[in-house]
This record gives sequence, C-alpha cells and structure tokens, in this order.
Amino acid sequence: MLEFEHVFFSYEKEQPILTDVSFKIAPGEQLGLIGANGTGKSTILKILLGLLPCTGGVRVGGLPVEKACLPQIRRKLGYVLQDSDNQMFMPTVYEDMIFAPLNYGLSRTEADARVDETLQQLALTHLKRRHNHKMSGGEKRMAAIATILALRPEALLMDEPSIALDPCNRRRLIHILRALPLTKIIASHDLDLILETCDRVLLLSGGRIAADGPASELLRDRALLEAHRLELPLCLSGCPEGR
Amino acid sequence: MMNQASEAWSEFKAMDELAGQASVIHRLHPLVKLLVTIVYIAAAVSFPKYNLSGLLVMVLYPVFVFQASLIPIRTCFRKMRVVLPLVCAVGLFNPFFDRAPLFMLGGLAVSGGVVSMLSLMMKGIFSLMASFLLIATTPIESLCQALRQMHVPKILVTLLLLTYRYISVLLEELSVMLDAYHLRAPGQKGIHVSAWGAFLGQLLLRSMDRASALYESMQLRGWSGAFYYVRGGRLTVTSLLYGVFWIALFLLARLVNLSQLLGTLLV
Ligand SMILES: Nc1ncnc2c1ncn2[C@@H]1O[C@H](COP(=O)(O)OP(=O)(O)OP(=O)(O)O)[C@@H](O)[C@H]1O
Ligand SMILES: [Mg+2]
Repeated sequence: MLEFEHVFFSYEKEQPILTDVSFKIAPGEQLGLIGANGTGKSTILKILLGLLPCTGGVRVGGLPVEKACLPQIRRKLGYVLQDSDNQMFMPTVYEDMIFAPLNYGLSRTEADARVDETLQQLALTHLKRRHNHKMSGGEKRMAAIATILALRPEALLMDEPSIALDPCNRRRLIHILRALPLTKIIASHDLDLILETCDRVLLLSGGRIAADGPASELLRDRALLEAHRLELPLCLSGCPEGR
Repeated sequence: MMNQASEAWSEFKAMDELAGQASVIHRLHPLVKLLVTIVYIAAAVSFPKYNLSGLLVMVLYPVFVFQASLIPIRTCFRKMRVVLPLVCAVGLFNPFFDRAPLFMLGGLAVSGGVVSMLSLMMKGIFSLMASFLLIATTPIESLCQALRQMHVPKILVTLLLLTYRYISVLLEELSVMLDAYHLRAPGQKGIHVSAWGAFLGQLLLRSMDRASALYESMQLRGWSGAFYYVRGGRLTVTSLLYGVFWIALFLLARLVNLSQLLGTLLV
C-alpha cells in the first residue's frame, strides 16, 4: 500500500535528513514511527503526501508520488498534522468537517450524515457548532482528527495524534484507532499508544531505519530504545501508574 | 489585558461569526447580495454633489438590512471607527472653496460647499455601511463563489480567499509573538527598536509558514479552487425578488428625486 524505496531527502544541501530509507507497508498494516526529536518522522509523512520532493521511489497504492497522481493519492490518505492550528481553516468545526466530503463530490445530505456519524463515533457532537478559534488545544486536536476521519481515507497518517489530549480522549482515540481497519502510520513519542495500536514499529535514527519489527518485541527492548534516546513504554517499565 | 494585535484578531474572527449567522439576509444568495451592494455603491457615489435630498433616500437600504439581519448598527460603527474619520475628512475643505449660497434655511444662507461636504460624507458612510453589511452577512467563501459565478478568474478569487485567510493568520501570529515578547521584556512599551528587524522577519516567516501549511491542508482535502462546499448555491425566488427590488429602487432613486416627489405628492 505504502512504499519507500531508497529514499534520500534533505531540507538543506549539507544536512541529509533521510539517507537511503526503504520500507513497505501492506494494506491494513499499522505502523508506529518512532525516533528522537528531529529524526525525520514528520518528514516521512510529508513525503508520502507529496508535500516534499525527494529522490528515490515513493509509491502509494501502486501510484508513484508525482504531480500527475497527487489528487488520486491524496484522496486515499488522511493526514493529521502535528499542529492542529494548521489543520483547520474554516470558521466552525462543522464547516471544516464537511469541506473534504463535498470536495469529493458527495451531496450535502450524504456529507451531513457522515459528519454526524463521525462526531458520534468520537463522542464529539457538542463541538459541531463551535468556532475553531474558540476551542482549547485538546478540543482542536479531537476536531482535527474528526475532520480527517470524515474524509474516510484508505490510509491514515497521524503525526503525534495523542498530543494535548486528556486521558479520557486519549483512551477513546486508542479505541477508535484499534477498531478502524485502515492502513495506518502513527508517528509519536507516546510509545504506550503505539504499543496498543500498532503491530509493527520503525525506529528512525540518524537518517536511517535503526530497527524494524513487531511492536511487542521492539518496544520491550530497553537497550535498543535507550540507545536511541527513547524509553520503555510506561506500561512495560514496571512503573506503578503504568501497571 | 489583550494586546492590540489580539484585539484586532478577535474582531476579525468576530466578522466570521457575524457572517455565519442565519437571518433572512444571511440566507440570500451571495451573488444577489454582491450585485445589490455594487449597484448601491455605484448609485450612491454617482449622485450630483448638490443633490442632498435625493441621496437621503439611499439611507433606506442600510437601515433595512441592519434591521433584517439583526446586526446592531453599533457593531458597524465600532468596526469602522478607524476609517470613518478619514472618510469624513474628505469633504472638510469644500465649505471654504465653494461659498456661493445655494438656498436659504430659516434665514441662513447655506453655501454649496456645505451641501457638497455633507453629500460627500454621506456617500462615504453609505458605501462603508453597504460593504460592511455585505461582509457581515456573507461568509468569505460564499463571496468567492459569487465572484466565480460572475466569471472573475479563478486565480484572482483564490488570491482573495487566501489573502483573507492570511490576514487572520498574520494577526494571530503577531498577537502570540507580542505576548511572548512582553512576557520576557516586562515594563517595555512596544517593541524595542533593536528587535524590530528580527521581530518583523520572524513574523513574516512564521505567518507565511502557517499560511502555506493551511493551504496544503486545503489541498490535501481535495480543494482545487472550486466552491462546492458553500451552502445556498442555488438562486431562490426570494433572492431574485430581493435583488430586483433593491436594484430597481436604487436606479429609480438615482433618476428621479424620490424625496422631492414624495414631498409634492403629500403637499
Ligand atoms: N522547513 C525546514 N527547513 C529546514 N530543516 C527542517 C525543516 N523542517 C524540519 N527540518 C529539520 O529536519 C529534521 C527532521 O524534522 P522532522 O520534523 O521530520 O522531525 P520529527 O522526527 O518529526 O521530530 P519531532 O519528534 O520533534 O516531531 C529536523 O532536524 C529539523 O531540524
Ligand atoms: Mg514531528
């Protein structure tokens, strides 16, 4: 479904961010993308969406990520940005959610139904008429996730989805992610969330893939994680709150 | 205490909220509202400078729209407080140049200059009010859709929409940065001269970054310059009648002196 083949990327010439990164994600697979700050997690997601030009082969659903294919590719992908302020551009949550479905040719009644369904699923019906600039950080985040789910993408790319969420909303998000049978890439420092929602993990370090394997194994490897400036997930570290 | 930028930002966002209400006027077709506004301004501005009584009739339109849209006139004048003095200042010197008496009012000779000053001010205020009412009752997307229906090129309309969004982002960033600056420079009034360059540069970079992220976000959700997502795309009979009525009235008011006519009919 998603494919990186010998990808090189740098924002500035002398500073490579990704050097020779290759991986493949099968349809329905759930990948956790982990790594210290600045290792290129967000960059990988942006490359998949065709927002950054790179050298090497990137394919989404069999299509090369090139200008001609971008509309088709972007139709398949739902991208939750690291910063939800940049995600929402309409005055209200409802208008933001209905934006993409209408652009993709749904009628207003169909789109309305989809918006309501998504909001119910996320238990967010109270946010429907709220103005985007008058919401708290966490409310905005949940609303941003709702706008993307209303798009009904084939694959979900999430950049730090649990940031700014209270424990209850974070839990709800995990339940929803587990229930969604989509291909997913979740880039996050919330390793507990990755452990609960992903079956495979890619560990980035120094522009390369340092490790690639099943989440349950990789996230238990204290030595490996600590060598790359990470820690065991709370629930595995024997810390009393984590259990 | 809010800094000035965040006040401006809130006011900007408040316009969005006004435009998002659901009065009779808000529900009219955006194209009709746009056309009515254009004809109104054109008619008002084109009145001869001494025709004060004819111009007076034009007040009917804003008064009606304020009533029907449930937008308080106060809001309008508060938002226009910056430009209003400028508009009023335009005709200020007319009374000094044009001293020929035009008519007598209770034994007082009223000069042409006074009349033309008043009519110029009224034209300015009317035009401002009409534009305000258009923006306060029509979301920016709907306006853009209307422009597209008038065959204004896509690129211009997109530019307008993005500029509008950009202003809001710019104000927001400015207000965040001002707060961040003053938290670390307590007791300073304004930004110190030595920091102006860095501050402005940062402001520009940050707001452009955010604006392009927002634009990408629109593209990622299927935006291609079309306004499918705007409510009320179809022209209703009510909208049509509304448009025809006002445009006819403006033209009539412009061609016939309605207040004089009314006067002669009554007397
Ligand atoms: N617009 C840009 N111009 C130049 N360099 C950039 C730009 N954006 C990011 N970088 C650099 O690219 C590297 C990777 O950034 P990226 O945002 O992908 O990191 P990340 O893994 O998502 O980090 P985080 O965990 O902090 O979100 C960073 O070292 C950053 O300094
Ligand atoms: Mg990141």
